[in-house]
Amino acid sequence: MFQLLSFLLAAANTTTPVGRIITDACPVYAPFFGAMGVTAALVFTVMGAAYGTAKASVGISNMGVMKPDLVIKAFIPVIFAGVIAIYGLIICVILVGGIKPNANYTLMKSFTDLGAGLTVGLCGLAAGMAIGIVGDSGVRAFGQQPKLYVIMMLILIFSEALGLYGLIIGILLSSVSDSYCPGAMLSPDNGTK
Amino acid sequence: MGLFGGRKHGGLFTFNKDDGYLEAILRGFKKGILSRSDYNNLCQCDNLEDMKMHFISTDYGDFLAGEPSPIHTTTIAEKATCKLVNEFNHIRNQAIEPLSTFMDFISYGYMIDNVVLLITGTLHERDISELVDKCHPLGLFKSMATLSVVHNVADLYNNVLIDTPLAPYIQGCLSEEDLDEMNIEIIRNTLYKAYLEDFYNYCKYLGGQTELVMSDILKFEADRRSINITINSFGATELSKDDREKLYPQLGLLYPEGTGKLGKAEDVDQVRGILEVYSTYRSFFSDGVNNEKSLEDSFFEHEVHLNRMAFEDQYGYGVFYAYIKLREQEIRNIVWIAECISQNMKQKMNQYIPIF
Repeated sequence: MFQLLSFLLAAANTTTPVGRIITDACPVYAPFFGAMGVTAALVFTVMGAAYGTAKASVGISNMGVMKPDLVIKAFIPVIFAGVIAIYGLIICVILVGGIKPNANYTLMKSFTDLGAGLTVGLCGLAAGMAIGIVGDSGVRAFGQQPKLYVIMMLILIFSEALGLYGLIIGILLSSVSDSYCPGAMLSPDNGTK
Repeated sequence: MGLFGGRKHGGLFTFNKDDGYLEAILRGFKKGILSRSDYNNLCQCDNLEDMKMHFISTDYGDFLAGEPSPIHTTTIAEKATCKLVNEFNHIRNQAIEPLSTFMDFISYGYMIDNVVLLITGTLHERDISELVDKCHPLGLFKSMATLSVVHNVADLYNNVLIDTPLAPYIQGCLSEEDLDEMNIEIIRNTLYKAYLEDFYNYCKYLGGQTELVMSDILKFEADRRSINITINSFGATELSKDDREKLYPQLGLLYPEGTGKLGKAEDVDQVRGILEVYSTYRSFFSDGVNNEKSLEDSFFEHEVHLNRMAFEDQYGYGVFYAYIKLREQEIRNIVWIAECISQNMKQKMNQYIPIF
């Protein structure tokens, strides 16, 4: 019973936080940057993938009128463009896993999350645009000259690699794990209630 | 990114986004234009069957394959024009704005010739459906299908001409009675003047390299028209000086002072004097005096030069126009050589105009 009493006293007096610690290094607004990183990643990669899909589909439609048998092989650029959006999805899932209401979210982590999201997003946008234009011209030329398939694939792979570089750096950035919140706690009952 | 929805064509960074593939195809076609060695080979032929064999090794391939021998020069011209039309349609079908409008503008020139042919045929009570076969294939328009209901010029005007893309030009300058009364050449020149000015304004609207290249070409076309109208109106025609001046297009090196003076000219010497001031055109007249090169040949040569220069440029639509015109010149060259061969006038054969 004495232990129960001391435990209750300890609980009443202690300042052990139950939720996030708010200090200068882990401010209230830190999750904003993290959330913006998530948004940037998905929005920009999806824009790139949409442009790539649309542009390549115009080319496929054009060549499919005359050469319907080749359309299945010519579908490749659309797949590549879709993969760009998947890169964005991967990084978003990783980032969202780090933003929890009960874990400390330092400003450093939030900035690296923002960087990761922007990297993947804008690299994916560029890759998507490249895949769209290459796919459009490539499938139209492939419709006229089937021997061009291999070179079109190679150029598409190089364009896809641009998005992959963004994903690599994004994953490296988001793997920074930091939960050290130094400094004076900013609100009196900091998570304690 | 902001150029995603842009309507005007792009420059260095975004031209290839929409038109890169078509320009690439066009430059591939351009490589197939006959070279000097091809012309040398053709000139050494003895008859048209030989020419047919020589064509096989060029880009034309066996385009005369199905023709019964003996071949006529008109057949060669027809088949070569067919090939050109196929290439034009291949590119036109894949073009998007604004290239598609630009290529439509190219076809309006031929449409004007077709419309004039139809008007002449109707005035002379010929069967219209026969005339459709004689129309230039680049200038066909959709309402040609309804030509069988046309019995007089009023029908032609109200039912057919108003539906063509030339309707703004026709409505702007001609009324129903004019078709009956006006001289057919005046109608043709009025329509062509409106078309040239419209095309020029469109190129200015597009801006960029297209404007740079096309303005030179179109200005020369306008000047050439003005000079030809002036020279053809000397002699016994009913064209008054005021009417003549109304036919000059309002663009070009000669506009407005040169055309003002041309409007008052009375003979070829006065025209030569007026054109002395313009260094480009001065040489056209002096050459013609010395050797057999006529004014027409000088015009064609200068046109080939301007169109050839268009290919030195990139990120513009001038190459599409230039290719059509250069192919036409090539067809003229082939016909000239074929005629010289079939009529045994080999000494005149070298008067074709080499292109590349």
